[in-house]
Amino acid sequence: MHDIKYNAVHDEFIVSNPFAQAILTFRGAADGEEPPIRILQGPSTQLSDVQRIDVDPINNELFVPSGGRILVFDRTANGNVEPKRVVSGPNTRLRQVETVAVDPARDMVALGASILPLPRGGGIAIFDRSASGDAKPRAVITGPRTEIYRIIQIRITPKGWMVAAMPGVREEQEPEGAFVGVWHITDNGDVAPRWKLHGPGTTLIKPRGVAINPKNQEVIIADMRLNSVLTFYFPEIF
Amino acid sequence: MILRARSLRSSGPVLLAAVSLGAFAIGILSFSVPGLQPSSFRTRTGQPQLVSIEPLGDEGAMCQWMPASASEPFSMALPQQSSSGASHRATDKIERAPIRVIRDTYPTYSAVALDLQTNEVYLQDENLFGLKVFDRLDNTPPTAAFTEPKRVLGGIETKLEFNCAIYVDPKTGDVYSVNNDTVDHMVVFPRDAKGNVRPMRELRTPHGTFGIAVDEVNQEMSLTVQHDHAVVTYKKDAKDLDHPIRLLQGDHTLLADPHGIAVDTTRKLMFVANHGSRYTPTGERPPEMPAHWPRGRDTEEKPGSGNFTPPSITVYPLQASGDTAPIRVIQGPKTLLNWPATLFVDEQNGELYVANDAGDSVLVFPIDASGDAAPARNISGPRTGIKYPTGVFVDFKNDELWVSNMGNHSATVYPRTADGNVAPLRTIRSAPAGKLALSIGNPGAAEYDTRRDEILVPN
Repeated sequence: MHDIKYNAVHDEFIVSNPFAQAILTFRGAADGEEPPIRILQGPSTQLSDVQRIDVDPINNELFVPSGGRILVFDRTANGNVEPKRVVSGPNTRLRQVETVAVDPARDMVALGASILPLPRGGGIAIFDRSASGDAKPRAVITGPRTEIYRIIQIRITPKGWMVAAMPGVREEQEPEGAFVGVWHITDNGDVAPRWKLHGPGTTLIKPRGVAINPKNQEVIIADMRLNSVLTFYFPEIF
Repeated sequence: MILRARSLRSSGPVLLAAVSLGAFAIGILSFSVPGLQPSSFRTRTGQPQLVSIEPLGDEGAMCQWMPASASEPFSMALPQQSSSGASHRATDKIERAPIRVIRDTYPTYSAVALDLQTNEVYLQDENLFGLKVFDRLDNTPPTAAFTEPKRVLGGIETKLEFNCAIYVDPKTGDVYSVNNDTVDHMVVFPRDAKGNVRPMRELRTPHGTFGIAVDEVNQEMSLTVQHDHAVVTYKKDAKDLDHPIRLLQGDHTLLADPHGIAVDTTRKLMFVANHGSRYTPTGERPPEMPAHWPRGRDTEEKPGSGNFTPPSITVYPLQASGDTAPIRVIQGPKTLLNWPATLFVDEQNGELYVANDAGDSVLVFPIDASGDAAPARNISGPRTGIKYPTGVFVDFKNDELWVSNMGNHSATVYPRTADGNVAPLRTIRSAPAGKLALSIGNPGAAEYDTRRDEILVPN
């Protein structure tokens, strides 16, 4: 499992199973060997390289990056179901999408991806939530000032701040320059992060997963090299 | 700041909408506003009245009002942070310590192997990324916090990370260590290596290797590749960018998230333990890709080809390659297989040992088992000390069975023919008695459950 998202409105959590090209939905209190309540899998789904996911509990949709595309399903899709919408094509400027985060309040979706044309490298592309087909992003955050090599997870705060894990070069065990950066969902272009959580004092080495706890103004980070989960107090973004 | 209005009419709708943005407050009332009066002076007018102005708290999310006629959200109609301004903004660098850390500070043992020339046992520590070496006869007293290892290998120079399988060469004592899905290299150390030292040999491997089996007769080694549902075989002395010499992959193989692997050079068979998830790897290999490199992660996946199958052990001819079907499959509810991990073959007695991870057991099958076959022996139960076993090794010299337990920081030893709920002969423990492992393994994400105030961590 490479991702997990909790849907507080419906008290469910969803996980990706990349080895079986499946999206599994469990009830929120699931424990032990309890089976999922829904399994999205099969030829009609077009699922492949399933890594990250996000759920929009307001509009009842699931967003699944798949290669350079975004597949959008009904939240309650079960079995061998076609996506209701696919974002794909040269105008999207998406080459390989690593992660997705939906902002239903602003009706936007943010993607961590490698951005075309090359050799721009990694960045954050922001689309209208309801984008479909060969849609252009409304904004693309990429360039040397961003310091983005790749973005592997994004979470969006109620105020529209995007908290993004930048783990550095994948092949390096302790990559230089890894950080957790914060941009606003209205940012565009070669924009430096507004805040950057990094440095020896944080103890972070290779941050991969990000979660937010707005009530307590906390950011929760899964660090691969530390094999640990760390919680930071981060009131600035809430 | 928000303007709040309350109608004093006994009936009729009240429509009030307000949007607050930063220091500005805009209140839109659909009805006329007679003016604010102290409550003691308000009189019923039959019309809505502005009754209070209160500051908006700076907590929680605000629902954004959007009239039906609006073509875009209100917030987007307001002046945006200009790209030119943002591009010159300074970054606030935050270097603060975490307020809480969830981390298991004790080793957890993913694999076990013995060097019977030195009477030492090697335990793969997949939590702290290292190898711990103990004396074969070490037995942690119940009152002791842990047993100190004789030797420890670990650190960035070793390239050990999420190290999940181990092989000790019975002649040379060389230690082969397989990394899972973060470092795409297998590393080899000399018998007496310790500390933060570089391996004496490295081999680039496909992403997601798990198990290793060495055929000493033919001088070959085979590795399972989880992500691509494949088995790659190299010459035993392969190093650096050497290519695999054989690839077993394809829909007919029934490989499905393969984990453990073992070879029987007497019967010329290869055994593979499968967890059950699979898809169809596809795509053309680019010219720069090595021969016999698996398709899948490095090429393409066939979209929508994923499926779940029950866990299994698939049996092949020893040097099977290509899209070759197994000659036998051990699968079904009687087998009790549940995330089968490491395998070990007893060629002399004709038995197959299985570290049955999620089943908290070690299963022993006849070497010719097939179909929905029950195990001949099943070591499980509270007295055994077995918890999430992922490693198994049979010491024929001393007629003992070793198990490495990911669930409780220990390795446990039994008579080779142990069965049922039996206590171990010895336990090497690396954490206080009763301490269970946190089971965090390569956390790629985290989530906060707002309802239960819990952190969810997928591994």
